[in-house]
Amino acid sequence: MQFAINELVHDFSKTTGIECEIIISSSGKLTAQINEGAPFDVFVSANMKYPNDLFEKGLTLGEPKIYAHGKLVLWTMKKELTPSIQQLENNHIKHIALANPKTAPYGNAALEVLNHFQIFQKLTTKLVYGESIAQVNQFVNSQAADIGFTSKSVVLSPKMLDKGKWVEVEDSIYQPIQQGIVCLKNKSNKEKLALKFSDFLFSTKGKEILNTFGYSTNFD
Amino acid sequence: MIEIFLQKKLNAPSGKMLLDIKTDIEPGKFVTLYGKSGAGKTSTLRILAGLLKPDFGKISIHGNVLLDSAQKIYLPPQKRKIGFVFQDYALFPNMTIFENLSFALYKNQSKKILDELIEIMEIGDLQNQKPDRLSGGQQQRVAVARALVQKPELLLLDEPLSALDEEMRNKIQKYILQVHREFNLTTILISHDLAEVLKMSDEVLVLEEGKIIQSGNPIDVFSKEKLNGIFQVSGEIVKIKTEENILHLTILIGKDIAKIKVNNKEYSHLNQGDFITISSQDFSPKISKHK
Amino acid sequence: MDWEPLFLTFKLAFVTTIILLLVSIPLAYWLAFSKSKIKPIIETLVSMPLVLPPTVLGFYLLIAFSPSNGFGKWLDEWLGLRLVFSFEGLVFASVIYSLPFMVHPIQSGFSNLSKSLLEASYMLGKSKITTLSRVLLPNIKSSLLTGIVLAFAHTIGEFGVVLMIGGNMPGVTKVASIAIYDEVESLNYAAANSYSLILFALTFSILLLVYMVNGGYLKRFWK
Repeated sequence: MQFAINELVHDFSKTTGIECEIIISSSGKLTAQINEGAPFDVFVSANMKYPNDLFEKGLTLGEPKIYAHGKLVLWTMKKELTPSIQQLENNHIKHIALANPKTAPYGNAALEVLNHFQIFQKLTTKLVYGESIAQVNQFVNSQAADIGFTSKSVVLSPKMLDKGKWVEVEDSIYQPIQQGIVCLKNKSNKEKLALKFSDFLFSTKGKEILNTFGYSTNFD
Repeated sequence: MIEIFLQKKLNAPSGKMLLDIKTDIEPGKFVTLYGKSGAGKTSTLRILAGLLKPDFGKISIHGNVLLDSAQKIYLPPQKRKIGFVFQDYALFPNMTIFENLSFALYKNQSKKILDELIEIMEIGDLQNQKPDRLSGGQQQRVAVARALVQKPELLLLDEPLSALDEEMRNKIQKYILQVHREFNLTTILISHDLAEVLKMSDEVLVLEEGKIIQSGNPIDVFSKEKLNGIFQVSGEIVKIKTEENILHLTILIGKDIAKIKVNNKEYSHLNQGDFITISSQDFSPKISKHK
Repeated sequence: MDWEPLFLTFKLAFVTTIILLLVSIPLAYWLAFSKSKIKPIIETLVSMPLVLPPTVLGFYLLIAFSPSNGFGKWLDEWLGLRLVFSFEGLVFASVIYSLPFMVHPIQSGFSNLSKSLLEASYMLGKSKITTLSRVLLPNIKSSLLTGIVLAFAHTIGEFGVVLMIGGNMPGVTKVASIAIYDEVESLNYAAANSYSLILFALTFSILLLVYMVNGGYLKRFWK
């Protein structure tokens, strides 16, 4: 999400003149920090579990909203590989990176895909787990892992564009990776500004940016 | 003959100093290196032992070359067959006294030598102790014994007695002289105790600023003014007894004790432990020949 | 409860400590007695893991071990060894990471020994190896023990490096510290607590035992 969010914030600040500070960390840690009263105004997460958790504790302004669905891609930096699910069983592929399914939605989606094709059992010794999607990117990027499951927003980000090869995984075989946003209660009196940012994600301009980063905004 | 020639630039406390030693030592002699600290005594000994490399030099024992810088020969300490007694004794704390001694045996060497040394140095009772339980004097005896296990030709002693009290020092001196004779050693001792030098050595080398400034029989070397006496001996006052106007001096001369009487007024400045030279101008000795 | 991460942690710490001991004795010996001009450079390198964040080390190791780079490629092609995402890789990384904890105590042990012990052994005709094994090492037992314990404990506590190059593979690279992190992240505080408690108790016992042995308490107790 950090790649798209930079662009979104940049555009938002340009049109509204509202300066934003971005703090990037794992959803679990941020949730813990917000629980302890961290002065954040907006919380964006690729895992609805965390914003919902905050909502239930009454720390938010209203219910979390889903502004986009993330897409799972299979990505490799190896010249000799063509990414595809069928290739995963190939002996040339020694390590397949995915995010920890317990904590990361993209990891969970990858697991669903492997189960769908009934190859999880065969691949267990090849699977290496990144703590987050960011670590999966690092594994793939350094070629420590031959191939990995990551987010489409990563391969479309300016720095990764044209690096390696990727293929989108058919999105009907995994649960949608819902991207949520929620505005937070705090004493900073910036609630109106926070809501403005939230609205921006649902605007035409916002959707346009999200689409260029590979998020789908057409869902029910 | 032990031929010694060595040169090395040293960083002495007073600045740079050139150690420059050239001397020959006859086999079987007891030689002391005498001089102030920083004169180069320990460096000389360490170069002989192979623990320090000179810039330049040649050392041989009975024609056996230990070191020849021109030919790039440097025998390591292990191959020099030299016994070395360190100032801090350097007994191995992890071993008992007996283990310290038997560690010193070379491969396949008979253990008989150990019994012999234990007996001479009178350390039988200490055999099963660890070094840290021993007094300084006891440790020193063990250190001397250990240095002799391999029956070296040359024994080097780096100020072995400086940390001991008077009585213990006399005792160890006796042991050292005894092994020196019994093992046919050539011995080089570092000392800055004049009495010790006079008592122990056949020859003294006086070092100053890295050079030998005087050498020879210690009594000759240390008699500041040549007395005109037809007879003179030097020794250490071991006991003074005052009786009215007479002082009874007990003097250790070499390995013998002599007693003389002198006038209290004239010699009241004498103290026990002083080293003195006694000369006599009118002297009618009785001489008997040893059988 | 899954015992595997705990077992793996102790296996890693054990193997790492053994290798470290074998590597550190000659290295510490050299550092203590050499007068070489490159000694300060080697000393600095040995100490680097003390100041480098583990993630930096992990990041470089990840790149170095990657089969697409020189070193990793060489290992892969010649020895068929891939150090990323493998137990061997964790051992290698831990050896580097815990190196100063083993080398420093042994080095200071050697340095604190009177140099005349070494020289006395040489004068008795003993080789460097004999001198090392029979005179030097037996006299720095407590330094060795300190090194062993610190290296062992430090490897148990290792997290950042393992996270970077381990890949969290069950039974291979998923050590206890990673398992704990995992459980915390997925809000399974009870499981995290059990792992932590066991790790705490075990390391406490090991350290306590060492300090008692080193302090001579046990000897007194037996007497």
